[in-house]
Amino acid sequence: MTAAAGIPARFLATVGGYAGFTWDCAAATLRHGLRTDATLREAYVIGVRSLPVLVTMAVFVGTNLSIQGHAAFRTLGAHSLVGMFVALAGVREVCPLLAGTMVAAKTGTEICAQLAVMRTKEQIDALEVMAVNPYAELIAPRLLGIVLVMPALTVLTLAAAIASATAVAVWQLDVNPGEFRDYVFDNIRLADVGIAVLKGVLFGAVIATVSGFFGLTSERGPEGVGRATNRAIVAICVVCVMLNYLVTAVAYR
Amino acid sequence: MSVPAVEFAHVSKAFSGRVVLQDVDLRIPAGRTTVIIGPSGAGKSVFLKLLVGLLQPDEGRILVEGEDLTRLDEEGLYRLRRRIGMLFQDGALFDSMTVGENVAFPLRRHTRMREPEIDAAVASVLASVGLPGTQERMPSELSGGMRKRVGLARAIVLDPDIVLFDEPSSGLDPVTSDAIDQLIVEMRERLGKTFIVISHDIVGTFRIADHIAMLHGGRIVARGTPEEIRHSPDPVVRAFLRRNIPLPPLPGEREESP
Repeated sequence: MTAAAGIPARFLATVGGYAGFTWDCAAATLRHGLRTDATLREAYVIGVRSLPVLVTMAVFVGTNLSIQGHAAFRTLGAHSLVGMFVALAGVREVCPLLAGTMVAAKTGTEICAQLAVMRTKEQIDALEVMAVNPYAELIAPRLLGIVLVMPALTVLTLAAAIASATAVAVWQLDVNPGEFRDYVFDNIRLADVGIAVLKGVLFGAVIATVSGFFGLTSERGPEGVGRATNRAIVAICVVCVMLNYLVTAVAYR
Repeated sequence: MSVPAVEFAHVSKAFSGRVVLQDVDLRIPAGRTTVIIGPSGAGKSVFLKLLVGLLQPDEGRILVEGEDLTRLDEEGLYRLRRRIGMLFQDGALFDSMTVGENVAFPLRRHTRMREPEIDAAVASVLASVGLPGTQERMPSELSGGMRKRVGLARAIVLDPDIVLFDEPSSGLDPVTSDAIDQLIVEMRERLGKTFIVISHDIVGTFRIADHIAMLHGGRIVARGTPEEIRHSPDPVVRAFLRRNIPLPPLPGEREESP
């Protein structure tokens, strides 16, 4: 009973702590300025490291969208509609979420573990004692680095998924290439790509701040590092899925 | 009478009701080496964190060169910290940076020195701690003693007025520990700054200290020159020097015992 009663209190404390953390991070960045060299380096590293795994995942998500769409519409005698299915499901929903979760798995866990280890080894305290603000030094460049690179990663995810879906539809499922292309591009508006990019940017902000929060507030020692990383990835995935719903609900009313 | 480098005035600190420091009153003279000794859990690390403003006291004032750091805002605290260097227990070097980048870090953040000047300053300070030419090595390639030397180089590269040492001999073998003690003595003579050392190493303490204060149960139970501490009649000090652990309880603690 006591342990169960403590769960809402711990949840609220974590949410309150996260809100305070993001406020402190914004305030510190305004006071101490942004390190543009570190931000660009982070953007480059995050982009280059995430791209191979993201494209691989996108390719195989695209293949399956084609197969599932074809199987569903074939029973209705409208298998050429697979292009519309790929456009609607892939571009609007699956690909932005895929980009967010893969960057979370690759970069979010790395940020959280790095910061938690730095905390364990007193490197965060060392920054403070050297009169260097840890939020401005460590969080702001990573946050802006991810936010800068997420639009490109999201668009590349869309492109990879559509390309692989086209290949499977045309060469494996014998869908007419012209019909497939028309159904895809008739159902993707520029606004859809814009909303997908917006989702990617929001997911990037969540990934950086949540992983930064759990990393900087981790308990010391290897167990603390593991626990913080685990909590960060779970929290990022839950928040991103909820955020995805909210953006979709507002944008496609 | 000269202003002490550091003054703790009736400082108390508790965590979740557990008192860690209680009414600590201590003046640390400028230009000397003061060692704060005491067993584990005596409150030494909290003392050091209070001194650099990483923690705020529940009561009392902490004056650093006459400036009350408990009243400073972030900007004031950061200005004050630029006059303090600190060697952490394991060096606290940044793993992703080379030795040279670690030592150059405070210079790059707080000075307008150009790269050739920074390179020269880094080379000079690394040579002064006995590690010339190690700029390109990574912290993971260094032994514990070398990491402490690099940590000391980073702590003194901005020429601070006060240098803090958190357990400088912890985790080191006796020979390396002796070498670090010797380095502390040499650096103090060469720099003429205020050195404040937190330690539980009795042998090393008498080798490096001009003054000693002993913390036990969150209170300063003894203070004086090494000779005065060595001949202290206080049973807690005598037990600590004879390494009789656990130490006898303080009078207040005895009364509280069931």
